[in-house]
Amino acid sequence: MMMVRSTLLAGAFLAATFISNAQAEVLKGAVKTENIAWYGTWKGGLAEAQRTGRPILLVSGAPQCHNVPGVW
Amino acid sequence: MDRSFLADKDVISASRKFVCIRLATYENAEENKILAGFFSRGGVLENTVFTLLTPDGKTKLVSAGRSPVWAFGGVRGAGINAQPEVSMKKMGQTMEAIALAYPGKGKATKGSPPLPYLADLRLAMNVTAADRQPLVVVYSKSAEQRKKMEQELSKVAWSDQFIGQAQYVSASDASEFKSVKNFKATSGFVVIQPGTFGLTGEPIAVIDAKTSASKLVESLAKALDKHKPSTLTYNQHRQMGSQAGARWVSKTPNQEKEARRGGGRRPQR
Repeated sequence: MMMVRSTLLAGAFLAATFISNAQAEVLKGAVKTENIAWYGTWKGGLAEAQRTGRPILLVSGAPQCHNVPGVW
Repeated sequence: MDRSFLADKDVISASRKFVCIRLATYENAEENKILAGFFSRGGVLENTVFTLLTPDGKTKLVSAGRSPVWAFGGVRGAGINAQPEVSMKKMGQTMEAIALAYPGKGKATKGSPPLPYLADLRLAMNVTAADRQPLVVVYSKSAEQRKKMEQELSKVAWSDQFIGQAQYVSASDASEFKSVKNFKATSGFVVIQPGTFGLTGEPIAVIDAKTSASKLVESLAKALDKHKPSTLTYNQHRQMGSQAGARWVSKTPNQEKEARRGGGRRPQR
């Protein structure tokens, strides 16, 4: 299973190199987006991933440093 | 949290083909368990977690760890926010490859994406302060009205103009705004400027609850433009917050801190 997935990803990886270049051309002059749009709950994000069939980028962090809030 | 990989233009571009979930560690016991299921050491859920997953949320597609460095290489510890170009490029390319392997349902997906809500207003003010972004609260006591507001706002929130430019939370009771200064309990899209430390906030604008998506574009753009992000450096923020007595109390114990008290070393990201 792991090997199949690795092979699949390796093939797609090569294709993605070219797609990224093509996309870069298309994006010239388009509205520039600068931030990742985050779902803030597991429940909400997972429901959307299941609904759309898109993969998930998952990160977590505590929004405080030494108990001082307002910072990651 | 990483401020290098996740701010890279290729990673942001690839992220549009993913559902991006960012959780606040130690704020929800159920989410803590889920995070620890993907990455923990010695049963301790650490401060930060990173991974990429299949759409069902069950299978990891890259090594999980404290940050993208664990999967794509780069700098750990001091200097984490100045990653080598090659590592960030690897992350963007890997995400593009995964997006090809999991292209989604495309047009077969019914309806528009729901708003990417944060859990509650208290946490949302902290998170938006940390991101230096404005917060949009969908506020109405009526569940029916909130649903209509969500439908209109979601058409706008995911557009090229607004995607990633603000964060969202729902509120159904005026008491939820107890830390928001000068708030008048009027239903609407309440755009909030979070305080520097995210413990308080102040309304920038309140847009009428019955505003349609087409009219929201202009009024929301005007409101978001009024947001003034903090200009403090990381160290200045920590120092000033400490001096001001700004203190955050997590809803669940900070397991990493407790483990360190027990003699463990601070792990590197």
